[in-house]
Parts: sequence; C-alpha cells; structure tokens
Amino acid sequence: MSQINRLPTGACTDSSTIINFTFNGKQLQGVAGDTLASALLANGVNVVGRSFKYSRPRGIVGHGAEEPNAIMQIGSGAATVPNLKATQVELYEGLEAASVNGWPSVNFDLMSITGWFGRLMPPGFYYKTFMYPAKLWMTYEHFIRKAAGLGSAPVQEDPDSYDKLNQHCDLLVVGAGPAGLVAAREAARAGARVIIADEQSEFGGSLLASTQRIEGQAATAWVAELVAGLNAFSNVQTLPRSTVFGYYDHNFLGILERRTDHLGISAKLGVRQRLHRVRAKQVILATGAFERPLVFAHNDIPGVMQASSVSTYVNRYGVAPGNRLVLFTTNDNAYQTAIDWHRAGRTLVAVIDSRGAPEGELVTAAKKLGIDVMAGCGVIEAQGGKRVKRALVARLNHDGSQIVGAVQKLDCDLIACSGGWSPAIHLSSHTGAKPVWDEQIVGFKPGESTQQERSVGACGGTYALSACLAEAVLAGAEAAKLAGCGDGNAHFPVSEVEEYQEQPQQALFLVPHTKSTSRAPSQFVDMQLDVSASGIELAVREGFESVEHIKRYTAMGFGTDQGKLGNINGMAILANALGQSIPETGTTIFRPSYTPTTFGAIAGRDIGALFDPERYTPVHRWHEEQGAEFEDVGQWKRSWYFPRSGESMDDAVNRECLAVRNSLGILDASTLGKIDIQGPDAAEFVTRMYSNSYLKLAPGKCRYGVMLKEDGMIFDDGVCACLADNHYLMFTTTGGAAGVLAWLELWQQTEWPDLKVYFTSVTDHWSTATISGPNARKALAKVCDDIDLSSDGFQFMDWRDGTVAGVKARVFRISFTGELSYEVNVPAQYGRPIWEALMAAGEEFDITPYGTESMHVLRAEKGFIIVGQDTDGSMTPADMNMDWVVGKNKSFSFVGKRSLERSDSVRENRKQLVGLKTIEGAQVLTEGAQVVFDAQQKIPMSMQGHVTSSYFSSNLGHSIALAVVKGGHSRMGQVVYCPMADGRIIAAEIVDSVFYDAKGERQHV
Amino acid sequence: MSSKAENINSESPLKYFHKLSNHQRHSDSAEIFNGDVEFALVIKEAPICAHLNLRGDGADKSFTDGIAKVLGIALPTEPGTYQSCQQHSLFWLGPDEWLLVSQGNAAEIEVSLRQVLAGHIAIVDISGGQTMINLRGTDMAVQTVLKKSSVYDFAGWPGASGNAGRCAQTTFAKASAVVSNKSDGSFDLIIRRSFADYIARWLLDAGEEFGCRIEG
Repeated sequence: MSQINRLPTGACTDSSTIINFTFNGKQLQGVAGDTLASALLANGVNVVGRSFKYSRPRGIVGHGAEEPNAIMQIGSGAATVPNLKATQVELYEGLEAASVNGWPSVNFDLMSITGWFGRLMPPGFYYKTFMYPAKLWMTYEHFIRKAAGLGSAPVQEDPDSYDKLNQHCDLLVVGAGPAGLVAAREAARAGARVIIADEQSEFGGSLLASTQRIEGQAATAWVAELVAGLNAFSNVQTLPRSTVFGYYDHNFLGILERRTDHLGISAKLGVRQRLHRVRAKQVILATGAFERPLVFAHNDIPGVMQASSVSTYVNRYGVAPGNRLVLFTTNDNAYQTAIDWHRAGRTLVAVIDSRGAPEGELVTAAKKLGIDVMAGCGVIEAQGGKRVKRALVARLNHDGSQIVGAVQKLDCDLIACSGGWSPAIHLSSHTGAKPVWDEQIVGFKPGESTQQERSVGACGGTYALSACLAEAVLAGAEAAKLAGCGDGNAHFPVSEVEEYQEQPQQALFLVPHTKSTSRAPSQFVDMQLDVSASGIELAVREGFESVEHIKRYTAMGFGTDQGKLGNINGMAILANALGQSIPETGTTIFRPSYTPTTFGAIAGRDIGALFDPERYTPVHRWHEEQGAEFEDVGQWKRSWYFPRSGESMDDAVNRECLAVRNSLGILDASTLGKIDIQGPDAAEFVTRMYSNSYLKLAPGKCRYGVMLKEDGMIFDDGVCACLADNHYLMFTTTGGAAGVLAWLELWQQTEWPDLKVYFTSVTDHWSTATISGPNARKALAKVCDDIDLSSDGFQFMDWRDGTVAGVKARVFRISFTGELSYEVNVPAQYGRPIWEALMAAGEEFDITPYGTESMHVLRAEKGFIIVGQDTDGSMTPADMNMDWVVGKNKSFSFVGKRSLERSDSVRENRKQLVGLKTIEGAQVLTEGAQVVFDAQQKIPMSMQGHVTSSYFSSNLGHSIALAVVKGGHSRMGQVVYCPMADGRIIAAEIVDSVFYDAKGERQHV
Repeated sequence: MSSKAENINSESPLKYFHKLSNHQRHSDSAEIFNGDVEFALVIKEAPICAHLNLRGDGADKSFTDGIAKVLGIALPTEPGTYQSCQQHSLFWLGPDEWLLVSQGNAAEIEVSLRQVLAGHIAIVDISGGQTMINLRGTDMAVQTVLKKSSVYDFAGWPGASGNAGRCAQTTFAKASAVVSNKSDGSFDLIIRRSFADYIARWLLDAGEEFGCRIEG
C-alpha cells in the first residue's frame, strides 16, 4: 500500500526521508516527522482497533492525548509497550505496531460477528451480572479482559534503564504552545529558574498546525525563533517529549520525559525515560484545550474525526485523511478546517453549521472560496461499515434540540466535527481546584487556584491567539515576581497576530435523531469504553443522579484517555436527562496520571542491587572470602553461617555451636545499634527509657535493659554501659537502632526538654568482634596485655578500655551465648585487622567463626529472647518471664510503666514465654506453628499459642523451641501439640525456657 | 607478648570497593579528567581522617569562642554552612550540632576541646563510621547526579568561596549524606561507612550516562 493520502508538504514532516514500519504485520511507509497515526492515515488505514464492549471497528479520531481509539502495542519481546496512543508515538525506522484489541484481526473480528457480547453488556453490566458468586469474579474478569483487549505487558525483564531527577525551579511552565513559550520567555528574562515541558516532540503546540501568521511570518518560524531565544537562557531548562502527568500538594509536579522512545525501542542510548520530580515556586499551566466532539448516531465509524485533527494532519504532517469531507460545526473556528481542506485540493462536500445564520469573518472567507455552507443543519447519523460512506443531514430547530426538516444524504468518506473547545483543566483539577462552568466559552474553566499556579491561554478559556499572548506575557512576569525575580512588568511586546473575529458558538452536546435516543443507532460519548448517550439516560432512569456515580456505573471517562473528548458532552447529556443545568450537575474530578506513566520510570534506578541499600560491616569482605552465607537483617548483610566444603547448613551450624561451647567461637556483632549518650541528665534519661534503673550503675559497668512503648510492650532490648559520669553507651538490636534513636529524641525533644542530654549514633564507628567460649580469656590474653583479664579483675558485665593487637579498644564482658565472652570494639577502620588478629590468637583453640544462625541457637539454649522474634509488640516483660528487669521502685516513672498495671496486662491466661521440648527429640518444630492442647479436636482448632523460635541443639542432642502459650508459666510439664503444615502433629512438653546451664555458671568463670 | 608488636593498618570504608567504573574505556588515557571526554564524573574517596560530632549551645559565647580558640576557625552558626582551614572543616548540622572533619588526631582534638569547653556539651569520635568522597567533573554531570540522588536543591546554592560554603545533611539515594560544595566546583559527600559500598554502586550507576569512574 502506498501513501495514498500524502500531500506534497507538511510543516513538520520531511517527505524525502522514508521510514519503514509495520502495522499488524503489514509493511508500510511513512516519512520523517510523522507520528504513527499520521503515517497510518497517510496509508489510508481506516480501522485501527475494535471497541471495548461492542467490538465495533474504530479509526483514528484525534491527534494527541485525547485519542480514544488508536491504542497500540508497540514493539515486541522484552521491550514491548502496551496501550500507547498512535497519535503520540513518533515514527521510527522498524517500528512494529499492533492493535491491542480485535481478535483474530481488527478487520475480521469474531466478537463483533457473534454480536451477542455487547448486547449483554448494558451500563452497570459488571455490577448487575457478576455480583454473585463473588469467587467467580476472577474468572469473569479474565474473560472480559481478554475479550476487551487492553494490550499485553512484557514478560521478560525490561532491558532499558530509567531514572528520576529531583528538580527545583522558580517557575514550571506546562505546555509549550504560544502562551507557554511567551510566559517562559518573560520569566526567564526576569532571571527566574524556568522549566518548560511539553508532551510533544517539538515546542509550538497548536501553532505547529496553524496557518496563522505572527509578526508577518509563518507560525512555525515564529515558534522556532522563540524556542531558540529560550534555549539561549542559561536559567531555562526545556523539556520536549515530557508530559506533566500529576500536580500534587505544595507545588510538587511529576513529569515523564521520554528520552529515547522515538529512536526505536532497541536503541540503547542511555536513559529511556526519566521521571522529573519538580518542586516549583510558581506554576503556569498552558495546557491548551481539546476540541469537543459532536455526538450523533454512529459517530464512531472510522472517518469521523475532530476538525482540528483534520487540520493538524493536513497542515503539520501533510496528510489528508480522506477524499470527500463533510465538516460539521457549531462555531466559526472550525471553518479553518474547511479552508485547509480546500487548500489541500480535496473535495469539500459541505460545511454543516448548526447555527441559523453564521456570518463570522472565517465563515465569509470560506464562502469566498466557494465552500458550500448549510446553516441551521446537523449531521444526525453517519453511515458506513469500516469507513464512513455518507452523512445524514437534517435541518435543526434554533437550539439544536429537534429535527425540523427532511433528512438529506451526503456522500462522503470523512466527517470532521467541532463542538467547540474544552479547556484542558486536568492539572488544575489535580490541585483540588473545582472547575467552574462558563456559559460564554461553553465549557468548564479552572477553578480558583489552591496552589501557586495560574492557567493561561486556552486552558484558561482564552482562545483568541492575540489574547492568549497578551495574557501569557503578563502571567510570566507576574509569576517570576512572585518567585522573587524581576519587577512583575512585562518586557517583551505582545506579538502582532493575523486573526479573524469570531461570532458566538452554539452549545450542542447531543445531536437529535429521527428516533429517540434509546432507539436511535448508538450515539457515542466515550468511544474507548463504548459509552453512549442512551447508556447515560438509562443510568438516570435506573436512579443514578450524581455525576460521580454515573461515571462509575457507565464507565464514562474511565479509559486511558480519561474521556478527554466526550466527557463534557456526557455531563451535558446527564444534566439534560436530570432536567438540571450543567453547573448543577458538575463535573467529575480528574486525577493523576494525565496520561499513563510507565512503572519503569516510577521505579527509576532503585532496582536490582540498588533496590535497597546493602549495609556492610568492616569485616564483610573477610566473611565473603571465607564463603559465608549471608542473612538480611534490616538493611545489613550479616554472616549467617560459614559452611565448610561439603557441609549443609545444619552441619555447619551444629559444628559452630559445639565449637563455641567446647572451645572458642568468633562472631561479627558490628551491626548492633550503638548510641552515645552524654549530658548531666544522661543517667536519669536512660533510667526513664529502660524498665530498670541505671542511676547507680558505676563507670566500668554494664547492665541489660528492656525498653517498652507506652503500652508496656517490649520494643527493644540491649546492654547499656556507663562510660563515665554523665556518659553512657547504649546498645540496641540491629534492626531497632534507628527506631530507638528516634524514640530517644522524641522523648527528649517533646516531653523532657529540660533533661540535658545529647544522643549520637556510633553504630558505624565501632567494629565489634565477639569471642565466646571457655578459651576466650586465653585467646584474648595473647593480644591484650594492658587489661587485667582475671575473673575478679574483669567481671561479667564489666567493660574495660585497653589495647588489643596494638589498637585502642573497648572490651565488654557481656554474653549472648552464656559462655565466657568478650566483645572487642575497635574503631571500624581497624575492624578487619583486629578480627584477623583475634583469629590468629585463637588458632591454637581452633577458633571458629560463627554466624547469626548459630548465635540464635546458642541464645535459645540459654532462653535469651530476640525482640521481634520471640516478641511481637504485644508482650510485656512479665509475659517473657522477665519481671526481674522491671524496676518497681524507681523514683520517677519509666515509659510503659503505667500500662503494666492495666487489667489486660495483668490478666490470667496471657501468652507467656516457655520452652518446648519435643517428645521425639529429633523432631524440630516449625517456627510459627500453632500450639493446641487437644490434638483430636476438629478444625478450626482452639489455638493456645505459637512457636517463636525452634532449632536443633547439637550441644543438647535434641531439638529446642521457645513458644508463647496461654498461661504457659503455670503449665510446666504439660504436653501440647503442634500441627504441622504437612499434616504431622508433633507433641512437645512445656519446659523452662532456659535449656542449658540454668544457673549461669559458664559465663561467670 | 606485647601488643605493640602488631603492625595494624587502618582501612577506609571503600578499600574493598574494587569496581572502578561501569563505563567501557575507549583509550588508555583515562587517568586524566580535565579535558577528558570519557569521564565527565570522577569519584574519589579522601584519606582517612578524624570525624567528631560536636553538640553544644551555638548561642553560648564561651562555647563558640572555645571552639574557635582550639581549632582556629569560627563555628558556623549560619544554617547550612561550613567553615574550613587547612587542618579542619566545621559543618553546621543543626542549631546545636556540628561535624568536625580534621587532619588531626581525633583523641587529641577531643582532649583539647574538653579542656576549654564547659557545661552541657557532647563530643563524640565517629572517625571510623564515616568517610568523605569527592565528586568532580562537568557541572552538568555533577549537578545531574546530585539531582538523581537527593531531593535537596543543590543547584540553588551560591558557589563556595575560599574556605566557606554551603552544606546540607540530607537524603542521598536511599541513604544519607552531608553534602557540601567546594570552591573548585566539586562537591564533597560525607557518608556512613556501612552505606559506602551502596553509595559507590549508586554513583557509578547514576553517573553512567556521563562516563563515571572511581579514582583510587
């Protein structure tokens, strides 16, 4: 197929550069500067898709974001993109496009032929039909989606890269049409940092398709000059191919910039799409307007288009999308399309004007060209199958509500419609501004600004170019001044524009038919979702009144085009059916995104290894070199276990645990949170935060404490050391570090600002190597000779400053294994060398590095809890059998104390921490397993608790578990049952939670 | 045995970050940056130095005077600014919090400061927990990578001059950094040790479009 509709020239196309592409598998050609839509029209392609419900053939209607029908799947394989509008896809060599709906093909659609499907889907179809049974909804939805065809997402990994940019500016101008460009220039001159974004490939907006002359030159030349001028400002950032898709609170806007899409999907040229997150002091919305369609019977047949779109294809792209045009209008403006078509040398059958006596300057100009004007008439029906064949035209009464004459048939293949213009108020709506109906422009204008923004030009309801420019110059200067730049006076003169005076338009939202709306052939309001005038009226008859309810019931405006074309018609039809005015009926609220935004851009570079930070300890690389397996603890990578060749995880953990109890192990404990606390009130503050007291803790001593939230539930735990008078070092759990620091700051800053105390995180400063086991003292003595390591000189729960392997170190004699342990802390830059020195010192004791898994087993043998594993935010110290950690005689209260006396905190039968010893010692319970008292009961069983920690203990030779069981502390010796997911039921005896060395003798040597 | 017998070398946070670039080199002359079209962005970790967190009352003259006396530079009390001299840099982090980065010895500085400062103060050695990295290159590359990394408006800063400039403690990718500008147009980032590998990886990725490398 050749380009039968290609004209010799287009303002923005280069017909000497041929571009090859395919549409539904067919090889076609376009030219440089084409969009996919203009190239399809150039090739005479009529049907581009099938409709959502009725599967009717559909053609291209518009030329931009408003297009409802030409929804395409672009490309194939990993980089395929669904649901792009052909009007917004720039043509590139090798582009592959396919319709997203229509099966087996758009020209031969089975769904349409069988015909039953659409008839079964009146408005509210989902609600009426698929309410019951609810569980079948998934089945229905799958079928409906397949039939409707919404494109397919790629199944392979996305090969492209995306990113996000945080931008700040004095002024963001949305839309680079005449108003936006002029406003941006004015603000730039005043010295404002300006960003101007436009969704099209070129700046110029409506002027790209205009034949108007500005300052004596072609509009496109005037635009080029203006853009060059803008680019010369160093304080201006121009963003073509960039859609401002959302306007959020505090003048925060999102822009999707398409950087390489137009170069072809496989082009590997850096960032494909970029999300700009813009914080603007001022915003100028210059988003233009959408031409309103005219709603008549079968107005969806391919060949019915928007008048401005026809002009755009003719003037900008050099494509005449038909041969015989019937132009249907309610206003003067659309006569330009008649003139453009006439100049293109194609046949103009007639202009059908709904107004009785159109006499504006453009009308006169058109008539002078010999164009036939039928005043006071309307196109009441289009006829044809896959392309318009004729228009049925009839005389209308003065307000266009009734047919008053005979029906006439006009043969044509193109009907261009103009029902006036609707300002593109979407972004203004995002801010919460309520749109206001304006009788004069017959449309909704932006409501009162709720943010630092203003609308200029067509999006504010100002349509004449000269008025747009005058408004924009002032807006630019004013916005700049408000942002702190310039004096607010316009500098550049308003450009001289060649312009026609227009007469008032007529409001015509639904063209009458010889039959009633319910019996006439469908008059489509929303083509993407097949919503017709009769559907809206039916919804009203069924009792719906609110425009928001009608929207949801009929699906009007729910498509990817957000009903940019027909929404206003729909609301007017609704108002009429309800017998009220349009302002009374109101409009639905537009929400982000203005056009669909890809997930790739939203994800940006936070993918793969960068999805979440990986935090490493100073010894991390040593662990890697030893072949350690790692476990994620918060963002930290902690060494989990150190398998030797051929060892399973169980083998490694069993070996590591035995080594600690029998000789010596070493653990990297650097990830524990550490907070330095200084100030005259440090002791008092710490005492208020922990459940126990630190007032009498002497320098050189440590104490274990539990922190509660106000509700009395355990929130974190750890050791706190007194470093000096008024100076403490608090250890937190690895995952809780940031939360604890924030918690301390919260209480100090908001509740007790009178307490003089400063907190500083030192988590990253210290590297901690814990050596644990009966030989720990002997090993440490080999590398430390300035600390008295004797059992009396350096007692359990003491700390000492000293020198370890030549480095100043702080050694804590605390233990999470129950063995003799020293935690050797050195500044992190010495972390790995000291670790290696300790490894060397421990060599003769067969020192064994162990990971978090063995640490868990060893502490569980001792019944030490892990906050967040054995607790879940609903456990008090008493529940954990840790009453000893609650200081009941503190002079000042502590956080959570009062809640410990609530009736619920002291009631019987709370879940309490106990040990579980399986009757068959080799059986290991599953963590999370439920505990029941009667294994024979029917499902649902009465659940009495759950397993919080469970391991095989190589030291004890049998499995051990910790569990919380209702009333557990008084159930020692009882046998309980844990049903497993695999159907087994494991019996276990409730025992004390301390399994090993109950007297704690091993850590006191 | 004597602990002094050991010969221990300190290790900077990025010591083990061995990937120098995501970018394919086209020639061997990649060492130079100025005039080098291949790498518009160069990341370099500063040698280990002393980092001390200072807390105190910035409105207390004895506190500000004491610090000026010991360090020889004024304590910056203007929010978001730093002061530096050859030996020390003092960054404003909050109304009562500063970061001192110094070529000196952390313990000795702490002792000197404690000798002259009285009242409710805190001085904490965090030298092991932080590192400073410098981002230099074309304005476009440096500014764009900063825009990718942080929501803060660095482009709105006036340039640094001499020994003073702007600083901000803010989010950086999904971590945090103290970002400051320098009079040569480059930026310093002070980041936490445990996040250093992540940030290095992030910078190489974010700077890839400009050509980005880590200088050893």
